[in-house]
Amino acid sequence: MKEIVFAGSGGQGVLTCGLIVSDIAASKGMKVTWVPSYGSAMRGGTANCTVKYGPEQIYNPSQEAPDLLLAMNDPSLNKFLPIVAPGGTVVISDTVEIPADVRQDVTIVRVPCFDLATQLNNPRGANIIMTGAITKLMGDFSAEEAIAAMNRMFEKKGKAKFAESNSKAFAAGFAAV
Amino acid sequence: MAEMMKGNEAIAEAAIRAGVRFYAGYPITPSSEIMEYLSWRLDEVGGSFVQAESELAGINMVIGASACGVRALTASSGPGISLKQEGISTLCDEGLAAVVITQVRYGNGLGTLLSAQCDYNRETRGGGQGDYRCIVLCPSSIQEFVDLMRPAYELAEKYRTVVVMMGEGTLGQMMEPVELPDFVEPERHPWALNGHYTYKKIGIFERDSRKEAVELVEKYNTIKANEQRWFDEGVEDADYVFVAYGVPGRATLGAIRELRAQGEKVGLIRPITVWPFPEKAFAKINPNVKGVITVEENATGQLVDDAALYIKKTHKDRNIPAYALTYVFNTPPIHSIKEDYFKVKNGEIKEVY
Repeated sequence: MKEIVFAGSGGQGVLTCGLIVSDIAASKGMKVTWVPSYGSAMRGGTANCTVKYGPEQIYNPSQEAPDLLLAMNDPSLNKFLPIVAPGGTVVISDTVEIPADVRQDVTIVRVPCFDLATQLNNPRGANIIMTGAITKLMGDFSAEEAIAAMNRMFEKKGKAKFAESNSKAFAAGFAAV
Repeated sequence: MAEMMKGNEAIAEAAIRAGVRFYAGYPITPSSEIMEYLSWRLDEVGGSFVQAESELAGINMVIGASACGVRALTASSGPGISLKQEGISTLCDEGLAAVVITQVRYGNGLGTLLSAQCDYNRETRGGGQGDYRCIVLCPSSIQEFVDLMRPAYELAEKYRTVVVMMGEGTLGQMMEPVELPDFVEPERHPWALNGHYTYKKIGIFERDSRKEAVELVEKYNTIKANEQRWFDEGVEDADYVFVAYGVPGRATLGAIRELRAQGEKVGLIRPITVWPFPEKAFAKINPNVKGVITVEENATGQLVDDAALYIKKTHKDRNIPAYALTYVFNTPPIHSIKEDYFKVKNGEIKEVY
């Protein structure tokens, strides 16, 4: 069973990142749970969700020790870095500063998602770029099956028109790590 | 393929498929998406939806719909369910079937939005005035919640009583792959009002309350005998048996499987009905068990009272200690449950009873 925490500020699309990964795993017939922060937890300007997936029954859907943390901003890194599993991976955006005394038992991967999004002329696609990068780092799904699952998810939400730009953003993230 | 669905939305769709054709209620986090979904969905199936002016109005509209033989639903949380108690008591008094969903959140008074199990005592004891009990179902996953929706109405109608579906914030807000059940078309009940004054009017002073009370107790005894539901694992040879329901129940299942793999003889009873409490599961527990341990999302320890009562009832010749691991709110991590188990075992955590 794998655990991922997606964290950022409200509007950065981290809940959607988690949803896409959940849908990719569900489309492979895996057991999946997606648990968001909600209510008053959302009002501090940070949003997060926890996704767990794998072939076996998921006992506890709540946050425990993520194998991977996505931190889109500094408060998210500070808040969730302590719970990352030893040997885990931390994905950060272009704007996140790495503290001098950062944990040495995790691998930090910087993905310049905002810069890449600008280059793709898709300024709202940073979260999709991160989803591509995370999918690659987790190593459980191919880019093709992941993109197909993502596009199907947005199609069901009536957002099929973004399929092409989303696919490009996902592929750019997948290639960036 | 099972589709990822948000708990509250899957629950609302399952209600439609179970034949619910009336909803009235007032929004409150973390249950609001149930009524948000039903606000458009009920219309599609020819049902009625009312966003009531208050929880009180909502439950009273449910009384009316139920009296007319319609599968009626209301949902809320914490303080909203408190406001509905008089109506729930009335439904039980009138022998009317209804389902009330609560997605429990932590705290007294207005409380918080945090996922919790602090309302166990209120739901299992009958939180309104009088001398009644509701059947209380407590699913541990979205799929189980969805699958229990139809049985909830069948139980409510079979016994003409209120069934409370006691979830928790997490179950409403999370997503899991869900397979939705088929649609059922409920039959209209012969006892339902039909607008023609078919039934004799009985005034409040003409009721034989003693006779009614005896009949009610018989009904509750039948429910206790026939409707206990639970999941258990490893209780026959266990040194310690955990008791936990809902999301903590499934987390505890993970904990006991890991502890078993480490050689610890532990078991689990996960009640699916907390009223009637699964006494039959307790009867299966190893006669030489060293203790029962509840895992609860509250601070005071509520489930432990029932665990202690039922281990006393089923293991009369021994005084078996009952421990409570209380995590206040949010699902405890599996490693915390395991660490606290060892504290029970080595005497660091004392028994409650």
